[in-house]
Amino acid sequence: MKILLTLIALAAPISAMADGQISTKLSAFVEKTVHDANGTKLVLEDRKQIFPGEKVVYVLSYHNAGQAAVSNFAITDPIPGPVSFESTPDANALVSVDGGKSWGSLATLKIAAGSGFRAARPEDVTHVRWALKTAIPAGAEGKLSFRGTVK
Amino acid sequence: MRFLVHLQSCLRRAAAVGVVASISLGVAVPAAHAAGTAAGTNISNTASASYTDSNGKAVTLASNTVQITVDEILNVKVAAADPGNVVSQAAATNQVMTFTVTNTGNGQQPFALTANGNIGGGQFNPTVTSVVLDTNGNGVYDPGVDTVYTPGKNEPVIKPDASIKVFVLSTIPATATNGNLGLASLSAQPTIGAGTPGTVLAGKGNGGVDAVVGASGALSSDKNAYVIQQAQMTFVKSAVIADQFGGATPVPGATITYSLVANVTGSGALSGLVITDVIPPNTTYQAGSMTLQGAALTDAADSDAGSFTGTGINVALGSVPAGQTRTVTFKVKIN
Repeated sequence: MKILLTLIALAAPISAMADGQISTKLSAFVEKTVHDANGTKLVLEDRKQIFPGEKVVYVLSYHNAGQAAVSNFAITDPIPGPVSFESTPDANALVSVDGGKSWGSLATLKIAAGSGFRAARPEDVTHVRWALKTAIPAGAEGKLSFRGTVK
Repeated sequence: MRFLVHLQSCLRRAAAVGVVASISLGVAVPAAHAAGTAAGTNISNTASASYTDSNGKAVTLASNTVQITVDEILNVKVAAADPGNVVSQAAATNQVMTFTVTNTGNGQQPFALTANGNIGGGQFNPTVTSVVLDTNGNGVYDPGVDTVYTPGKNEPVIKPDASIKVFVLSTIPATATNGNLGLASLSAQPTIGAGTPGTVLAGKGNGGVDAVVGASGALSSDKNAYVIQQAQMTFVKSAVIADQFGGATPVPGATITYSLVANVTGSGALSGLVITDVIPPNTTYQAGSMTLQGAALTDAADSDAGSFTGTGINVALGSVPAGQTRTVTFKVKIN
């Protein structure tokens, strides 16, 4: 019995908890500007290598695989050190410029500069956080994302 | 689902404003100026989530970890490092021209060097006899200490954003005459390759990542000139102290007489020679004390060669032929 349980745990997806209803998946894409006959468009390339100066888009997918709704869903992503945060398409996202101690929209945050403070800039962001105000119904899924530049 | 729409609309907006007039070669060439994150760096990201499940229980979970590796950009910059042309004489050997080679890419690489004395552009071609690496990093050519570069054997390995000095040693032809210029160049490229910007060298970067040729083409060259100046100058400054008690003690009130001796040797002449000297702190220039070749000069900026500027003396000697000496003296009093 013990052995069987171990096997089940190993076989389970990395992010799925034993009693979890929500599964998450984090993906990274390289954002490229493509010029063609129709003009210019952005495409997300699924690559495992990136150059300094290129844009990376992190996409967080979540899925309520359970039978009932869940509430208070929040997801926090620390910005990797070599990445400079640029933007997130979700206006409700919160960011931190102090390592996750305090949160707010970027426009409301300040950062110590000299003897005073200055308005926080995108590159100051250390963490991004999404807190959904509404419950996630059973079977529902969604995606959250942010974009940055490799320093 | 709502958030997916957000993402797409944002990307579309970005695309709309991202239209710029440019010629695209199809391959993006990363910028050359900043090395950026080191090649081979693993960028790792893990998110954490929390929620309240249907039983009212708080649940936290970590996402999978996603990794991207930073590729390598190959770039290099060579720059002549002497303050101007390298002053030289006909038939002189081991004349040192200095260059700076900077790795402007983001990976550590060995660089192949090529020096060339046959690039024209002057009145003679210097013969490059060796290329020497500034092994001890002091920026100055030290014969027997700095290592002679042998292609294929000891390519200098340069870290990202770091630079080394390289000395090109040449022999000047005996036929070169006063005022002649002879140009020489140094070029550098990573040993793993160079070429059209955007060229991908798969798996050849640091730690096996892809390397791509950056905007510099991973090849850079600069040049400088040897200039023949057959006349040279030695310059000696000396001081004599006379105190008010008949001795030679530097006490307040003592007078110091400074002598500045310029001796031009070789052949030809040095033109535009100017001797300047700053009055030392805690001393006062003695008005009308300036002399040139023993003859008094006025302090005013006028028809004679000398003037006192308020902080120092300035004597314009004009052209001085080889074999001649010019002596300037002036006096100060210790405060």
